[in-house]
Amino acid sequence: MPLADGPLGAVHRAVASRVVAALATRFRDLDLAEEGYAEALAKAAARWSDGAPANTEGWLYRTAERAILDRLRRRAVRQRHAAAEQPLLHEEEEEDETMLDTALIPDERLRLIFVCCHPALSDEARIALTLKTVCRLGTVEIARAFLVPEPTVAQRLVRAKRKIAEAGVPFEVPGPQLWAERLEAVLATIEIAYAQAHEDGAGSGRHAGFGPEMLGLTRLLAELLPDEHEVLALAATIHFAEARRPARIDPAGAMVPLAEQDPDEWDRVLIARGDALLRRGFALRSESVRLLKAGIHAAWCRRRSLAEPAPWSKVLALYDGLLRLRDDPFVRLNRAVALAEVASPDAALAEVAALDEERMEAYLPYHAVKADLLRRTGETALAAEPYAAALALAPPAAEAAWLRGRLVECT
Amino acid sequence: MQYALLIYEDESVYGDGWNEAMQDVIGRHVAFGQKNGPAIRGGQGLHRTAQATTVRTTGGQQSLHDGPFAETREQLGGFYIVEATDLDEAIAIARQIPIAKDGAVEVRPVMPAPEGAAG
Repeated sequence: MPLADGPLGAVHRAVASRVVAALATRFRDLDLAEEGYAEALAKAAARWSDGAPANTEGWLYRTAERAILDRLRRRAVRQRHAAAEQPLLHEEEEEDETMLDTALIPDERLRLIFVCCHPALSDEARIALTLKTVCRLGTVEIARAFLVPEPTVAQRLVRAKRKIAEAGVPFEVPGPQLWAERLEAVLATIEIAYAQAHEDGAGSGRHAGFGPEMLGLTRLLAELLPDEHEVLALAATIHFAEARRPARIDPAGAMVPLAEQDPDEWDRVLIARGDALLRRGFALRSESVRLLKAGIHAAWCRRRSLAEPAPWSKVLALYDGLLRLRDDPFVRLNRAVALAEVASPDAALAEVAALDEERMEAYLPYHAVKADLLRRTGETALAAEPYAAALALAPPAAEAAWLRGRLVECT
Repeated sequence: MQYALLIYEDESVYGDGWNEAMQDVIGRHVAFGQKNGPAIRGGQGLHRTAQATTVRTTGGQQSLHDGPFAETREQLGGFYIVEATDLDEAIAIARQIPIAKDGAVEVRPVMPAPEGAAG
């Protein structure tokens, strides 16, 4: 879409998801909404050369709505039976520029998010559809982020939209009975998508621009659902994690472990926003897995400089809290890292040794943590093997560079 | 919209025919039918797959086979046709379908019959 790069690009990006959401819920059809919006954009490009209307959003919505009604009318004429029975829609409506300027459109983005994240869709379909429809990422960008060919993403989107239409996925915010399950599906979708964005420490590689989209999405969700502590916790976590992105990689391109990152390079504005979100979350509920995980990020982000001691004992206490809520080997592994600092690497090594090796085998941090602990207990020769095992799991470039550096020290 | 709710279970839990599991599940189906009566448009239980005969067409040639179309761990044992406003409502009904032990209910939207077709 050439407009997206032109002078109207900013307007387009700001209002697109709102307008498409309003159209999609009005017509209960994602394709019609996108087609109508594209038509309205093309008209805007032609007409706004002398200046945009005051209410660009309303203008785009009404123009798209009209384009869609035209399409439906043409479709109805083609299917003669239906046309004979149904009155023509809005035939008498004339273009009225003043109305276009004042029309307010409802914010239906929450409904759209629930449609895109319906648990009847596969994880990858939900992620692709949410990124495309709500975050307005292009198919090419999504394909690049997930390292899959563009036609694969396009096909996922087509299939997802077809399922929504044909299986009757509702264009509604779920009621109280389904709320918990459906909200969990939304949060899980964002978490999986973000985990993939976050994996690449550099953030300048294939996921460039993708973390910020997730940031925007969780901020929006926190705005729309201000009383959901899980939403606030996830939004806070993503704010903290994105705040640290500039410090996650050294000039040579290697990953910098959290405790060695220079807090000076962290984004204080994002951290303040994360703190505010998390405070609201904890005000609603004393603890939950997501709140405690966000709390660990917050503990780190409170560090002001490398001279200040790292918050290991606070982090250890939070991991203990997490384990009380849900015993999980991945949490135990992370706890061991903190335990090594607060108690000793030997104590941590004993914890790691107690984990189910088979279950952890494909999990890169398991090998990296084990190697690090062995190195620190003086078992340098033994550390080489788990470092190599971590490298064999094909980590992103920055992490691989760091692991290779450590491996060289051990051999 | 109409949805077919297809019930898959390991039919061996029902033994050879009339056992306790069967008796129990039938009672629960009756209760399910009473509770969801207004939505239910049809449905039946099916005899065991041992009683199935499959007519297969391959390259225009038809042949008969003893048994179901494919050997699977769980078998289609019955179905309901329900009327629901959307997928969420259909899923809510599917969740209430009694299952003897382990099993699955597939929720499939039914194609609207073409104009002029029976049904």
